[in-house]
Amino acid sequence: MSKLDWTRDELLADLPYDEPLVAGGVRCHGGFRGGRYVSPRTANRVPAIDAWQARLRAEGHRLVDVPRAFVPPHYPNYPQAKLLLQEGVRDPVTRSLTLISIVEGFGARIRELSLPDLRKEVVEDLSGTALSHLEGGLFEAHARDEAGWREEGGHKQMWEAARDLGLAKPEIPDDVLLAMMMGGGRGERKRLFPELSHRLEDAITFMANVMVVEIFAEDVFEWAKKLLGDPEVSADPAGAPALVSHIQADEKPHVEYLRTALSELRARTLRSHEGKSQISGQRVIDGILETQLRQMASTRPQRERADVQKAIRLALDDAPRAAALATRFEGLDSGWAFPEHGDSRLELTLP
Amino acid sequence: MNPRVELERGLRAARIGYTALCVWLREKIPAWWDRAWGRDPAKRNYSRIHQRNAEQIFRTATRLRGLLLKVCQVVGTRSDVFPPEYVRTLQRAQDRVPPRSFEVIRGVVEAQLGKPLDAVFSSFEPTALASASLAQVHRARLLDGREVAVKVQYPDIEHIVRTDLATLRRICILYERFDPQPIELLPLLDELQTHLALELDFRREIENADRIRALFANDPAVIVPQIDYAHSGERVITMELVAGIKANDRAGLEAAGIEPQEVVQGLTSLWNQMIMGLGFFHADPHPGNVLIQPGPRFVILDFGLAKQLPKGFGLGLFELMFSMMTENESAMIRAFKELGFRTKTGDPESYRRIAREMMSSARRGDVRGELTEEMTDELMASIRKDPIVSVPSDFVLVARVFALLSGIAHTLGGRPNTLDSLAGNR
Repeated sequence: MSKLDWTRDELLADLPYDEPLVAGGVRCHGGFRGGRYVSPRTANRVPAIDAWQARLRAEGHRLVDVPRAFVPPHYPNYPQAKLLLQEGVRDPVTRSLTLISIVEGFGARIRELSLPDLRKEVVEDLSGTALSHLEGGLFEAHARDEAGWREEGGHKQMWEAARDLGLAKPEIPDDVLLAMMMGGGRGERKRLFPELSHRLEDAITFMANVMVVEIFAEDVFEWAKKLLGDPEVSADPAGAPALVSHIQADEKPHVEYLRTALSELRARTLRSHEGKSQISGQRVIDGILETQLRQMASTRPQRERADVQKAIRLALDDAPRAAALATRFEGLDSGWAFPEHGDSRLELTLP
Repeated sequence: MNPRVELERGLRAARIGYTALCVWLREKIPAWWDRAWGRDPAKRNYSRIHQRNAEQIFRTATRLRGLLLKVCQVVGTRSDVFPPEYVRTLQRAQDRVPPRSFEVIRGVVEAQLGKPLDAVFSSFEPTALASASLAQVHRARLLDGREVAVKVQYPDIEHIVRTDLATLRRICILYERFDPQPIELLPLLDELQTHLALELDFRREIENADRIRALFANDPAVIVPQIDYAHSGERVITMELVAGIKANDRAGLEAAGIEPQEVVQGLTSLWNQMIMGLGFFHADPHPGNVLIQPGPRFVILDFGLAKQLPKGFGLGLFELMFSMMTENESAMIRAFKELGFRTKTGDPESYRRIAREMMSSARRGDVRGELTEEMTDELMASIRKDPIVSVPSDFVLVARVFALLSGIAHTLGGRPNTLDSLAGNR
């Protein structure tokens, strides 16, 4: 059997590379070996995740997944964003790319996640699992990838560089941070499994949330690569999308370790807060994941869509031929609806 | 001019001059002594001397009041420039201002409103609710029954400010002529003069209050008292009297069923929203200027010191805090530059050193994106150590705001989470 136990240093170790990645003048993580991009901290992290997943499958369990049908398309979509840039309305795209960079950076908050003592809250043994390595290097590697560490920039800085290369260092709209601050929710989140400890439910919810965000990001990568790689609107149609591809490559281990850890919990039994009863991990993980998805793939995109539309309308007011442009812009909308209940595409595990 | 007034001004200038001379001699004599004995004065510990000087300045200021109290308050906020003994001691000027007599106040209100007091108010409390360096506040009731707070500027304050500024300017010029100062005092005085000119015109304070009220018009958790424009002007502001618990009154908050941590997080979110989101902020959130109501709802008072930040400042500050939290040294250095920190030589090592000191401070606790009082102090201390670094005045003002909020959080036993607030969680 492949090695299942790893030290923190092993999980944070880099593969060797010949030259570092420098993006927009900023030294970033990772580098190039034989001309190919090498993601940071993947010397052992990738084989470790493969080994944990292989073990889970060998034990007859499935891996959790978010089907493509759930993923809302980026708004504005590629043709819409291209139209805006061609017409000189740059703020909505700049704002969008800047928000992506900030949200990526916020991914580093995963290192703040305070896990409960899983050995006490999970009935079965956890040795040799991704779960037992979350605080032993997996969260830290994820955090460093997203926000950078010490001398190296991370995804936040790489997205900023991609934006600045593609849009020739655009002026950042003043309201970027305000848009983010106004977007959050207030008040306590409703608990789905009050019999579990607060910390366990919070930790699962947080991880499920991050995993869904990471999977949703796939669509963002494709959107950004097309837009920033389009020579008609991009100032650097080679360099800017290449950076996005590197980020996309770096993100794969994030999705996979979270998918693995959540699947491991799904395959186990959880103890109630007072230790009096036991709950199926499958019930908990599926319940939380479904709720997260429903919220993130329906309510949130609707709100974000409304915000972006408002910002675009404001920007279009200043643009020449505003009314005609608005009509053309709306005509390019691809639309999207949350999948119906009972849809066969909604299976939340991989075959 | 009235000879009595002239004499008073002369005496005032003489007292200020005497204090300045004492301070200067206390700093210089030990240095001369050291040099005479072949010792390096820079190696002497000046802590006790600074403390004595600060105490004397504080005594003079509380006696003469007016501009000197304002100067003390400013020095008390400039930990990037002045030694900690001055900063700590002179900070006390914030809450040691004895009120002026009711008769004096009545005169100002009647002159401003052009009517006797009882033609506007059915009652007017003779005892002040609060007093500060330039004005004091009285509770009153309008003839239509509305309860109001009336902020009244001291009658002779403009003349006192002018006299004191002239005296202080002469002293600074003399200081610099006799001995080049390690601290550039005249630019600080210029800055103070600019701020004071704005603060002395209450119409500007009214505009600030209106602007912040408009910014939070859709947020029921934020209350900015309504101004009674008909009974306000250059020297008097009549505003809605809004009740609440002082932001640092932990027992009071708990007795009212308000969770102190919610107050801490709410205050952080509000000021982050103003500073990083809106670019216009109330720059003096000391506990007396923020009252809390159940909810919690935040009553913001006193808009004399409010500031419009330059474009890009909010994002730059966010980058600095974020890079600090994520231990990203190179991003921190870029943020310093974006915010307008400058070195004479452009040597990146100065930024790097400051970044490292701040991060080592951040690592001692699990930093959650906040600029704490301790971290601000350490940043300013490391900047003082290296005179080639200059700090943008906007940053100093913002750092002071965060230090004040951190002080409130400390008193309430809570911890703010800046990143939570940026993610929209209040």
